[in-house]
Amino acid sequence: MGRGVGSRSGGGAAQPPWHSLPDEVWEHAFSFLPAAADRGAAAGACRGWLRAERRSRRRLAVANCYATSPRDAVERFPSVRAAEVKGKPHFADFGLVPPAWGAEAAPWVAAAADGWPLLEELSFKRMVVTDECLEMIAASFRNFQVLRLVSCEGFSTAGLAAITEGCRNLRELDLQENYIEDCSSHWLSSFPESFTSLETLNFSCLDGEVNFAVLERLVTRCHNLKTLKLNNAIPLDKVASLLRKAPHIVELGTGKFSADYHPDLFAKLEAAFAGCKSLRRLSGAWDAVPDYLSAFYGVCEGLTSLNLSYATVRGPELIKFISRCKNLQQLWVMDLIEDHGLAVVASTCSKLQELRVFPSDPFGAGQVLLTERGLVDVSASCPMLESVLYFCRRMTNEALITIAKNRPNFTCFRLCILEPRTPDYITQQSLDAGFSAIVESCKGLRRLSVSGLLTDLVFKSIGEHADRLEMLSIAFAGNSDLGLHYILSGCKSLKKLEIRDCPFGNKPLLANAAKLETMRSLWMSSCSLTLGACRQLAQKMPRLTVEIMNDPGRACPLDALPDESPVEKLYVYRTIAGPRSDTPDYVQIV
Amino acid sequence: MLVMAECKGRDRSPSSSMDSSTHPALSTASAACWPTRPDLSTDLRLGLSLSTSLSSSSSLQAAESIPSMPSRNQVLLSWPPIKPFLRSALAASASRRRRQQTLFVKVYMEGLPIGRKLDLLLLDGYDSLLVKLCNMFKTPITYADVYQQQVPGVKAAHFLTYEDQDGDWMMVGDVPWNLFLTSVKKIRITRTDKC
Repeated sequence: MGRGVGSRSGGGAAQPPWHSLPDEVWEHAFSFLPAAADRGAAAGACRGWLRAERRSRRRLAVANCYATSPRDAVERFPSVRAAEVKGKPHFADFGLVPPAWGAEAAPWVAAAADGWPLLEELSFKRMVVTDECLEMIAASFRNFQVLRLVSCEGFSTAGLAAITEGCRNLRELDLQENYIEDCSSHWLSSFPESFTSLETLNFSCLDGEVNFAVLERLVTRCHNLKTLKLNNAIPLDKVASLLRKAPHIVELGTGKFSADYHPDLFAKLEAAFAGCKSLRRLSGAWDAVPDYLSAFYGVCEGLTSLNLSYATVRGPELIKFISRCKNLQQLWVMDLIEDHGLAVVASTCSKLQELRVFPSDPFGAGQVLLTERGLVDVSASCPMLESVLYFCRRMTNEALITIAKNRPNFTCFRLCILEPRTPDYITQQSLDAGFSAIVESCKGLRRLSVSGLLTDLVFKSIGEHADRLEMLSIAFAGNSDLGLHYILSGCKSLKKLEIRDCPFGNKPLLANAAKLETMRSLWMSSCSLTLGACRQLAQKMPRLTVEIMNDPGRACPLDALPDESPVEKLYVYRTIAGPRSDTPDYVQIV
Repeated sequence: MLVMAECKGRDRSPSSSMDSSTHPALSTASAACWPTRPDLSTDLRLGLSLSTSLSSSSSLQAAESIPSMPSRNQVLLSWPPIKPFLRSALAASASRRRRQQTLFVKVYMEGLPIGRKLDLLLLDGYDSLLVKLCNMFKTPITYADVYQQQVPGVKAAHFLTYEDQDGDWMMVGDVPWNLFLTSVKKIRITRTDKC
């Protein structure tokens, strides 16, 4: 490693050997390595590089807040300016993790306040963020600029007021899908009148009213505002007014885009949108108002991202709209688009990279005409398509095989057939062949979610072929322990594995215990695990935390239970911090 | 049903804090086979309005399209894997759609030739139905479930029956509310001493 460098010196002057170059030189060199993985590799080369790298690291992403203690992280990387921390396991999004599980942001904020006074950006995902945290952030970081909270809870508009009031250099306030208590605190008014640095404002998940006059003044004076995502409380005519004040907007979330049709309002909207020449990304909870869609026609051509996942618009109006969006790269839509709508997408959106189709009626009888046909069409005609999330009611192996052949460039493939264990609806066989084709063809696949009727054989294929797979989600699949064994003994790059309602038991877990340390985390719920195996696992692998979740109404001390006791929920993750001390009653660490 | 067949009768006690018998959708025998009940406490926290009483107006049921049987998937609140924000947005828009629909049925009281009409979709469940009818006809009425546990001293002169899709006259109260809505054609307030 660099052995030759020193000897390549020209002339007679003595050159210092490479390893005694001052740290600042290496720190500068490492600043050209943006990817954390590359920096990690560099840090592993030798002590000198380790020292230089960790001292110059500016961005830190902690994928599991319990993998390390906040103090250790801050000490190891003292120059961090931007930190992202994630908490609860992914399945918490679907209600599988009971409340008060943990993932408090407070220890991280406290450690950052002590060790990173120059911190500029903080991002929390699936964590509990309190008003006190927000107050501490506002008070501790002189140059705080970016706050991003995704799927968090525990704070209110009072906490937001602390941020808007205290962070003089705030550029981004991005609140995505959080549960925010509305204390009617005038957080928006707390931005001082002299404050003009805002570039991103996303309060779409906020339930309550905001003072529109204040919002309008804020939007008017923040000339760099690029992203504005409104909540459902802003009526349509006000949206038009805001757009006239911020015509340079790049990303717009319209909130609840719904009103009775009125030609004046239509004209107002049309004019406002016509002025937004820079608009590229559009989203909103459009509530079936087809009459207003044509007001957007002026911006369609420029759109690269369209998020209609909360829009109940359907039918010909929707399709007419999308058929004008020739430059779309990202489309999130309800299954109300149906197969023929997706056929239009296929023929129009040749630059499409990401498609997500959500179920409009997940519990109903299924009258929407979205089938495997839609996905086949899109995969056939969109050469850059690499990421798919698709909810549907039926699928065939033939369709999956065709899709795999059409699009070997998939990096993310998530298929959710609504009814668990649904077979190929034509042959009535399992979908093993289809998913096997996907993993065999898509060599760059990093994320996969499987569904439908699946046997252990599909996991054999996945284990063998999915070399780059990092995240795998399995539900209601497999027949025996073999299924899990194939995954854990294969899948070279696996980082996150989440399993629910599968007949997987103790044996493959214990046989592949070492694998778990190469992974970030494993979630297993409603499988066939028993306490004894978890105890063994914990004993064998001291650097793993093995968490068992009992039913919250029945907190029973683990020590009292016999080995044969079934384990309903298991969450295992590697950590250098030892077992956490903030577990609620129903979580026990083995 | 597919999943019922899979349920190998593992002998572990339901590890849930909610008794399945308190939830109308689970009071059918087939649901008892589920090894575990989903965690409703999370959903309560997430603001989905779930009530455990018989006259449940849960967002679960709001998310159905009337008239349809509560599907087995409703037993599993964590499936399909959609985020809570989307889940509640769907429930809200479904209940808005529901408010635009009506289900008017004729209601006759025994002894009165002129009947009344009532929009069942405006009601939450059996309890609301009872209250509404008692007000409409100015007489105490009871139905099957309550009849079993009558308060001593209070004796209703009438009880509720209904005509279903097959033309049979049945006692009101035996089936979950949503199932009742799909099969009711007419309601008849019958005198207690008749039966």
